[in-house]
Amino acid sequence: MSTSDSRPDAAVALNEVRKRYGTVQALDGVSLTVERGEFFGILGPNGAGKTTLVEIVEGLRTPDSGTVSVLGESPWPRNTPLLRRLGIQTQSSAFFTRLTAREHLETVAALYRLERPAATRALDLVDLGEQAGQRVDQLSGGQRQRLALATALIHDPELIFLDEPTAALDPAARRSLWEVLRTLKGDGRTIVYTTHHLDEAEALCDRVAIVARGTVLAVDSPRHLIKSLAAPTRLRVPAYRLGVEDVRGLPGVESAAVEGGELVISTHTANQVLLALGELVDLEEITTRTATLEDAYLELTATERRS
Amino acid sequence: MNAYTAVTRASYLAYLRDRTSVIFTFAFPLVFLIVFGMLFQGQSVDGGLSYINYIAPGVLSWGIGNAALFGVAFTLMHWRRDDLLRLIWRTPTPLPTVLGARYLVALGTGLVQAVLFTAVALGAFGLHLSGSWPLALPVLVFGITAFAALGLVVGTLANTPEAVAAIANCVMVPMAFLSGAFYPIDLMPGWLQGLSRALPLRYFDEGVTDAVGGRGGVALPFLDCAALTGFTLLFALIATRTFRWSNRN
Ligand SMILES: Nc1ncnc2c1ncn2[C@@H]1O[C@H](COP(=O)(O)OP(=O)(O)O)[C@@H](O)[C@H]1O
Ligand SMILES: [Mg+2]
Repeated sequence: MSTSDSRPDAAVALNEVRKRYGTVQALDGVSLTVERGEFFGILGPNGAGKTTLVEIVEGLRTPDSGTVSVLGESPWPRNTPLLRRLGIQTQSSAFFTRLTAREHLETVAALYRLERPAATRALDLVDLGEQAGQRVDQLSGGQRQRLALATALIHDPELIFLDEPTAALDPAARRSLWEVLRTLKGDGRTIVYTTHHLDEAEALCDRVAIVARGTVLAVDSPRHLIKSLAAPTRLRVPAYRLGVEDVRGLPGVESAAVEGGELVISTHTANQVLLALGELVDLEEITTRTATLEDAYLELTATERRS
Repeated sequence: MNAYTAVTRASYLAYLRDRTSVIFTFAFPLVFLIVFGMLFQGQSVDGGLSYINYIAPGVLSWGIGNAALFGVAFTLMHWRRDDLLRLIWRTPTPLPTVLGARYLVALGTGLVQAVLFTAVALGAFGLHLSGSWPLALPVLVFGITAFAALGLVVGTLANTPEAVAAIANCVMVPMAFLSGAFYPIDLMPGWLQGLSRALPLRYFDEGVTDAVGGRGGVALPFLDCAALTGFTLLFALIATRTFRWSNRN
């Protein structure tokens, strides 16, 4: 009857999932399919329902209606064999207090009924071997995030959920976590993760779902989303070189305005405009910013934010 | 390592590495022993007991109950707040195994507290141990169990360390006086004496007092153990009913 029943081969299949907390409709008819081996991003502002979605998929919450299938199975009532195949990193990092990174992982390994080498493997996987003897409370933000990932990966899961793994990281720590995630994807694992860093989703994800107020606004590859929303390319020229009047009539120019000492030109035919601008200024003075996922995202959620 | 051993180890390490808390767990009852020792010096209370044989079991049972309650409540509150409960939920290890491991830590702590406290009371305050003192051991075990179970209830209710401290103090401080541990029952009005029967510390204190003082033979401490078991079951039932895996509910 539903997609989830007809797609047991998918990693995750949600159909018309709804969840309400009191007066808040956290999920309002969400349908999604994540393929095996896919790197899937769930993007959305705070309160969009991302965490609720992840909790429903792991079986910690039941939806009010709709169907959910994870690796071809229902996640509830608590499905231990299924949980054994899932690696989940929650938004707050769960560490045993006052233990070292290694002791913490050894404890988690024991909870999964694994031997100690599992802890060493997980430490190496996230490149935390050198910090193994450090107490969890003394790790840096990036190291804590990697330890949280190691915790989620200790039992070698095939499907990994990460709820905002990079939210509190500095740019360098974020990049180093990306490398770890890319390696995991390379191993053939399925990764579903939530974020509000759009550059990150663009760099990592095969496909993204944009969620706001409990509904999926779009699902596609970052490239297609940018294209289909036809967000314009922006060209910037120092304002002292050219004024709005100089470019307004040029072929392909859709709009022009001065912003922070620069003339910003929006166009869908950047090549044509660049050619014309080349007649007026040195091309090296022009900076080009092609449309990003962020533009697409802002475009999509604009109506949401206005209402 | 099996899960039980691993969580026991983790809990012990977490406990021992919190120096301040370790020191206070052991020093707190001793401070009370000294203060009450000065207050009651040379007096006889509660049916002719020497002051030390009255006050030492009272302070000991209160100190041990207090530590068991606080320890378990803090752990449960932290595990839920830091999402460790959800982590445990996802593993094949049943929650009772994990809680059982934490209980073992409470039990160990309580027994060490008892040994240390008794040594000081014997050496510095002239506590007299009757021949029936080993009967105090089962009372200690049942008492620690009841207060650890009460800790589960407090840890389930409270979402912050401040809330744990507030609720636990609110329970333990009045109980210290109302159950006769810090203040002789004989001196209380009749209705308060009756009320004390509804408090677990009354039985914990009574059992230890009788065993150490050699009163009431073998039977009395076992009646106290039975009463403490009743409280354990009651608290465990409440904790099971109110248990939450996550603060996001
Ligand atoms: N336990 C809860 N009780 C009541 N409302 C909740 C609860 N959990 C989440 N919500 C609400 O549901 C909405 C979605 O929350 P959440 O899934 O956490 O979103 P996100 O992870 O995208 O920030 C928010 O409006 C949030 O306030
Ligand atoms: Mg969230």
